[in-house]
Amino acid sequence: MLKPILEITILWFVIYHIMLFFAGTRAFHVLRGIIIILLVFFLIQRLGLERLDWLFTKLLGISIIALLIIFQPEIRQGLAHLGQRYLFLRMVLPQKEIEEILNEIVKAVENLSLKKVGALIAIEREATLKPYIETGVILDAVVSNELIETIFTPFSPLHDGGLIIQQARIAACGCIFPVAEETDLNRIYGLRHRAGLALSRETDAIIIIVSEERGEISLAYKGQLYEGLKKEELLMKTKEILIER
Amino acid sequence: MSPENKIKKKIINWLINHPWLKLISFALAVLVWFYVAGELKK
Repeated sequence: MLKPILEITILWFVIYHIMLFFAGTRAFHVLRGIIIILLVFFLIQRLGLERLDWLFTKLLGISIIALLIIFQPEIRQGLAHLGQRYLFLRMVLPQKEIEEILNEIVKAVENLSLKKVGALIAIEREATLKPYIETGVILDAVVSNELIETIFTPFSPLHDGGLIIQQARIAACGCIFPVAEETDLNRIYGLRHRAGLALSRETDAIIIIVSEERGEISLAYKGQLYEGLKKEELLMKTKEILIER
Repeated sequence: MSPENKIKKKIINWLINHPWLKLISFALAVLVWFYVAGELKK
């Protein structure tokens, strides 16, 4: 009795994480289609429709290659996820230091929002952001609200792209993040929001976005976008993710 | 926050996030298990 429960639990864990990985992406619709086909296949077998069963078995065999081609970007992304280096920001830094850094970031974000200056800030958690740091200009500076504001000042050479905070330091700025490609995303979202959302899907980083048009503050975390946050809400949410969880 | 509360919060968070996905994946896992079990019996 214990073995089947263990097997089903393992299966559940694997299937859930595959679905979670695809949730919110275009590939999710394809995955849904595959699940429906599999259910039909299962039904055909149960009903004993031999000829259809033969046809489906052959088709499914061929479709493995098609799946590899269709999901090629996602498979690559997933494997990269598995091989990511973990740094454990919350274990390395004391709570007080994390709070100080968050206060500096939130202060800068608030000022940028009031001035309607666009900004994209990623705070590294457990999965490394090193590949993205390499695309930008390395800073390795102490986190201060003045420096963050200066970096995002329009027309400054470093204002374009994302800023990455790693291990209580501003690691780099002007970094290139991936971009969410789905077409059903609200039109009001610019490239910054799309980049923030895409990075939050690929890593467990916290991404703070300040909209240039509306001065609105958003937070992207694990593929979810929390929009229209106030200063206090942003501080609470980031603290909750970095310290309490 | 005490360690017990932390664990409680983690469990609640886990239950709240993506309930439908959990339900569908569980149904799929059960279906796949029974299918494979049936095939192995043949």
